[in-house]
Amino acid sequence: MPKFLTNINAISWYFLMPVLFIHFFVIAFPSILSLLLCLTDWNGFGKINYVGLENFEELFRDRIFKKAVYHNFIWTIMFLTIPVIVALIIAYLLTGIKRGQLFYRLVYFFPYILASIVNCLIWRYIFHPKHGLGGWFENQGIDFLSKSPFAMKETALYAVAWVDMWHFWGFLVIIYLTGMYQVDESLYEAADIEGATKFQKFRYITIPMIRPIFILSLIIIIIWSVPTFDYVYILTMGGPAYSSEVVANHLYSQAFQRMNVGYASTIGVMMFFYVGIIVGFFALLRRLGWEV
Amino acid sequence: MNKIFNFFLSFVLTAFFATSTFAATKVVWWMESDATTDPVVQEFFVDAFNAEHDDIELEVVFKEDINDTIRPALLSGSGPDIFDTPGASYIKIYQDAGLVKSLQEYADQYGWQDKLLEWAYNSGVFSGELYSIPKNYETMIYFYNKTLFEENGWSLPNNLEEVEALAAKIKAKGMNPYAYGSTGWQPTHEHLVGNYFNTYAGPDNVYKALIGEKKWTDPEFVESIELLRKHMVDDGYWSGGLETYYSLGWDDFNGEFVNRESAMLMIGTWGFNVTATNFAESSDDWDWAALPILHPQAGDKPNYQLATGGTMSVNAASKNPEAAAKVIDWILSDRARVLNVTGQLGYGAWLMPLHYEDSDFDPNIDPRQKRFLTEFAEATGTGNYGYTTWTFYPNDPGVHIWKDMEVVWAGDITPLEFMEESQRLWDKARADDALVPVGKR
Repeated sequence: MPKFLTNINAISWYFLMPVLFIHFFVIAFPSILSLLLCLTDWNGFGKINYVGLENFEELFRDRIFKKAVYHNFIWTIMFLTIPVIVALIIAYLLTGIKRGQLFYRLVYFFPYILASIVNCLIWRYIFHPKHGLGGWFENQGIDFLSKSPFAMKETALYAVAWVDMWHFWGFLVIIYLTGMYQVDESLYEAADIEGATKFQKFRYITIPMIRPIFILSLIIIIIWSVPTFDYVYILTMGGPAYSSEVVANHLYSQAFQRMNVGYASTIGVMMFFYVGIIVGFFALLRRLGWEV
Repeated sequence: MNKIFNFFLSFVLTAFFATSTFAATKVVWWMESDATTDPVVQEFFVDAFNAEHDDIELEVVFKEDINDTIRPALLSGSGPDIFDTPGASYIKIYQDAGLVKSLQEYADQYGWQDKLLEWAYNSGVFSGELYSIPKNYETMIYFYNKTLFEENGWSLPNNLEEVEALAAKIKAKGMNPYAYGSTGWQPTHEHLVGNYFNTYAGPDNVYKALIGEKKWTDPEFVESIELLRKHMVDDGYWSGGLETYYSLGWDDFNGEFVNRESAMLMIGTWGFNVTATNFAESSDDWDWAALPILHPQAGDKPNYQLATGGTMSVNAASKNPEAAAKVIDWILSDRARVLNVTGQLGYGAWLMPLHYEDSDFDPNIDPRQKRFLTEFAEATGTGNYGYTTWTFYPNDPGVHIWKDMEVVWAGDITPLEFMEESQRLWDKARADDALVPVGKR
């Protein structure tokens, strides 16, 4: 038998090959194609005409794209703060609970396993101006939530983000809790002997010790915020008046509603570069000795 | 031995030729799925066709989101023999890409031009040849609570002044003039835009803008949008205000209409079925009317906007286009059968644009529904028709209408800026040869 077939290093490559093969055709090849399509005016069906950098010029003039980028930025900031803080606190409190902890974990994690359409419908009904909380308050003579926050341009983005955060934060609780259980118990015992408060133990032991998993969660949030789409699409379709439009939503609209596939590819390429920069940034931190 | 061999050989040859000669040609049709429509289509079209034909076997595959599933199938050179599309703007793209077969030879052979209403036939003609046939036609009208109108002594409005006076009276009673909402279907905005274009700017002007003889930035279009903005934002005609309109879905606004929270429902003729069903459980009665003319430049009689709701075409890669054409002709050739099917669906689907005669109708048809079918045919037959955005607009300007109308309502852009963007997208579509056929007026 040829040596390359039995080489122990080569064997692991053979096992990896099917996955690499699938990845090439499902991810790499379409990505490369997308890089080429962004230089064309293809509508998804007919002739493909080369237009050079015209799509990029249009993209930088596109006020909806700029608005969507800004919304993605706001979205990322919200997800990097609210669910992270809440999840950290809840996870830390849960470590002190011995009885019934599983119940709480299940309850917090439950929205994460629900389909996005289910989560969206629940909150759409809650915020429904007639049948939801607004209608109930109206019956009590209180003018509160009489207009759905999804229907007002001042609140639509935040309302959609709220629903997505409600679904997401339980996931963070679970991964932070897992990280906290890895912390050496003797560190807390030493802190107890030194008379440290609960907050001091959290600040000086828990947070530094779970840093790798914490940074990982931040990377996940930043990267997942870029292609965020489903909650916006289901709840507001980017409206009213583009007030909740995000980049992936704009890409979808261009590709599948306006049939500007070439232009949509340009948006996709920009998203790809943005994610590349984020990954590069964290790779740089790792090189600089951060435990990322 | 020879005898046995000869017998065996002749048996095999007979079986072979019999199978190849008499095997039915299979025609596969991918159709947009709908829980109500599918069983009716299966029984009265598919099963009925197969019972009548030995030479062709029709199989309909009901698909969710047909537009998403047909695209990869056509691009890969596979797919069904016949397929549905959402409308003419998609056919234009398929035709440019060579993915759809010209039906001209079959149209000539079977006389489809005479079977279909002229405007409907023309809506499928690209570069002089027929590529698609509308499955359904619809228009925009309004329903009203007849009992409520009689109780209050309200009469149907005929012009802008009367519309606004009636709306004021309805609001004074604590009700909304119209029920409507866009949750679940953002493009409902384009229904309203089309209504104002055709009843304020007028169908002649819309036609001229569609064929490039007028600019969309001309005052009559800008004023139409400004009037719609006023009625929506300042006056809150639809379900009480912009935010409520954005929050209501189909069930919500239909419920609002039947519950007397709104006096009227401005909607497409697909609303007949649900209105009749809802009011059947109410003590109130309903009726419908054509949209009132809001400006003299739109003519002196109400017009009906033309719209096709979905089309059927033959795949360019079909191996059996003759059989597929035969299936289509079988459907087009029996008006009573089509009326029977569409009647079971409340005339909301499969109302094919054929030349119906009085004898074709079921004697039990709701007289209000029959009045619509007759009046629509008469009015459009005399050229008194307008244009919907979803049938006569190319994709990009069409999406702009319903996406960016919200920006006007939000006050972020003016009606003029909205129409300038519309004109820019139309110029681009015209330059890209992406326009859909309009038919000479």
